[in-house]
Amino acid sequence: MKPDIDQTTIKNKKDFFGWFKYKWSNDPLFSIAIALIIMIILQTLVLGFDYDSFGGWFQSWINNWINILRNNAGTAIVALGMTFVIMTGGIDLAVGSTLVVTGAFSMMLLDTGTKGFLAMMGISGAPAFIITILLVLLAGYLLGSLIGVSITKGNVPPFIATLGAMMIFRSVTQHFMQGYNPTVPVEFLQIASFKIGNYMIMPIVYWAVIAYILYYVSKRTTFGRHIIAVGSNERAAKLSGINVEKVKLRVYALMGLLVSIAAIIQVSRIGSMDFSNAGRGMEMDAIAAAVVGGTNMMGGRGFILGTVYGMLIIAVMNNLLNLFGVPPFLREAFKGVIVIAAVLLQKKEKTS
Amino acid sequence: MRIEMKKIRKSFGSNHVLKDVSFSLKGGEICALLGENGAGKSTLMNILGGVLQMDHGSILIDGKQVEFATPAHSQDAGIAFIHQELNLINDLPIYENMFLGRELKTKRGTLDLEKMYQETKEMFTKMNVDLNPNKLVRELDASYKQIIEICRAMMTNASIIIMDEPTTSLTDQEIERVFAMMRTLKEHNVGIIFISHKLNEVMEICNRYLVLRDGNLVSEGSVSEVNTNDLARFMVGHDVRTESLIREKKLGNEILRVEGLTSGHIFRDINFSVRAGEIVGFTGLLGDGRSELFQSIFGADQISSGKIFLNGKVVKITSTTKAIKEGIAYLPRNRKENAIIKDMNIIENASIVTWPTFSKRGTINTKKHQEIFEKHRKALQLKMGDLSDSITSLSGGNQQKVVLAKWLAANPKLLILDNPTQGVDVGAKEDIYDIILKLAEENIAVVVLSSEANEIIRVCDRAIVMYHGTIQGEVAGENMNEHSIMSLATGGDLSEGEVS
Repeated sequence: MKPDIDQTTIKNKKDFFGWFKYKWSNDPLFSIAIALIIMIILQTLVLGFDYDSFGGWFQSWINNWINILRNNAGTAIVALGMTFVIMTGGIDLAVGSTLVVTGAFSMMLLDTGTKGFLAMMGISGAPAFIITILLVLLAGYLLGSLIGVSITKGNVPPFIATLGAMMIFRSVTQHFMQGYNPTVPVEFLQIASFKIGNYMIMPIVYWAVIAYILYYVSKRTTFGRHIIAVGSNERAAKLSGINVEKVKLRVYALMGLLVSIAAIIQVSRIGSMDFSNAGRGMEMDAIAAAVVGGTNMMGGRGFILGTVYGMLIIAVMNNLLNLFGVPPFLREAFKGVIVIAAVLLQKKEKTS
Repeated sequence: MRIEMKKIRKSFGSNHVLKDVSFSLKGGEICALLGENGAGKSTLMNILGGVLQMDHGSILIDGKQVEFATPAHSQDAGIAFIHQELNLINDLPIYENMFLGRELKTKRGTLDLEKMYQETKEMFTKMNVDLNPNKLVRELDASYKQIIEICRAMMTNASIIIMDEPTTSLTDQEIERVFAMMRTLKEHNVGIIFISHKLNEVMEICNRYLVLRDGNLVSEGSVSEVNTNDLARFMVGHDVRTESLIREKKLGNEILRVEGLTSGHIFRDINFSVRAGEIVGFTGLLGDGRSELFQSIFGADQISSGKIFLNGKVVKITSTTKAIKEGIAYLPRNRKENAIIKDMNIIENASIVTWPTFSKRGTINTKKHQEIFEKHRKALQLKMGDLSDSITSLSGGNQQKVVLAKWLAANPKLLILDNPTQGVDVGAKEDIYDIILKLAEENIAVVVLSSEANEIIRVCDRAIVMYHGTIQGEVAGENMNEHSIMSLATGGDLSEGEVS
């Protein structure tokens, strides 16, 4: 398998089939992109093309897409962090629960009622929002670090450490938030629902910006490349002077930070959070997106761009199932098929 | 049984790996298959083992043409391939390993442990192996693991056994044990193809040899008619130096001093020093603790007591990152496990150590690394394709050069080389020796760890010999010879003379 940055040695560039064949067997993201394009075409066909009023048709196509992207932005951001975690050879099952903790924390800070932290101190409006965002990001970062410390210093396997954290975080949140219904100020909702033109696309913008930053980090920075080294051969990484523990710690801290961003987006979209159900299954959706995007569960190999594709494939598929009127209980099954099919496809690539 | 391979041809893309290679082997022969890395040895053997398919040619067993489409076909025909990486399960007992994949079952479908145990025991008696079949494979040393593999091959009635560098990770005593096994096989009329880089071993154990170079069979014959120099010449195509590489020494200041260094029972009370421009060898048998000692000095493992001085100052090296900042470089043994990052390309493997050094706000300075690598690549005579090719596309010798380049990029003051020529062919070995001498001339303190006494003698100014975690003695000048080193390494001292 050649690294995906190798663009220079494309043979038979002029010949379309030669180019296609080369890309298919050498660019790990190529087949994923093809799959995505096919699904988008299918989705467009199902939506139906209206010859009489192109403008109206196009408008509904755009609206459908904005809905898809916005609904998945939170999970998509988490999936980006999950890609890094899996690339180090780890896993984070605690993302859904971390979402609930940081979401609850942000609501406690923002609450305009008598129990609201910032309200009690007489802080409100924009300063309160800024303080809330900073504190929530810090909280996410610290919770992620806590998991990271138990994995690196405590030598607890990532699966166990995050499984434990998953149970602890949600249970504690649910206990302390019993019978407490914080009111989030309406202005705060602007963070997610601010309109550009006529479109509510802020969550999509956050997703795109974070994806771009992490793409750069994974391709061009010491930290990003160290993640691959640690996941591919931990001993060799250590003997090359890489602080393996620090890399892992930072990856889990980054994961926590990204989850807290997702929490802010979720709270600012609807102004509340269902602490017993929010984020349930989020870890599995994030892992699925990463795996469909070509990330190797054994570590060492993963693509931020692939995870974006993976997320889109799953999202478009959900949309298709919806349009086809597939019963809701069956939809998970299709997701399962997609995940397994993606890995089968990548297996084939490896041996060729 | 007699096996013939006729006009075997094999290409990977435009790379012609084998060009009409023919040879034959009959039972009771031990035939050495020699050649530099990339000469086509592995490809030829993989074709015989059914792992790869030839483009052209034929394989005959006792005059009858056969097809090996899969490894199973080859095994059924009585050919056993013992790979360098042994296929044993550490957590299962020996007798279960012997029947891995073809377990004996009782009528009820459960494992017939009793029968497997008995058959293993019978095989051990037949092959003169003194082992308890109940032992876990984990508890065995490397030579016994090799022997278990051979016995397993014999269980399947193999009449041809291919052994791919079986002695690389073995000590001299262990090698002797494997050789004894090979002689027993010979008596049982089994033919052996022995792939090795160690020419002394070939002279000792083999009766025939084959030399491949660039996919051609360049020489074959009886071992009794040649010496090691001849074989080395056939392999590289020109004369090879074997004498000690004498050089003018101008030693500088003391770079490293170690006092009373101890880590549990792994190594105890180690004292020595290395000066700038000096090449100090560390040798001993397996389990002497030298690798662990230097991995601890490099900060990869803990020490329990003792002091490390760099340039006369006490330093506490708590991590490999710190060690590199202090100017220490450590090229580890077992390249595949400890040095190669297979998910990265050549330039990344060659620059990983210095990423933090040249990065601006965390962004890797790719251009700078390419410049540095280009400089070392010439000095190292590195043969490779594109910088962005996968590291695994290179041969062992060239991979080792990439690993060396990554340490040279760090401009170390102290360079520790642990088995630097492991799995490296004769030509690349010479290149690496040249580099070591050149580095010493540039006033770098060099430590070479090696299990091969003649390697130490060739490049080092003096040799420190370890035995069971302690320094047994030091030899230099005329006293530094295979005899004195072996005597110290087996726990004797220099005055005793005879090796027990």
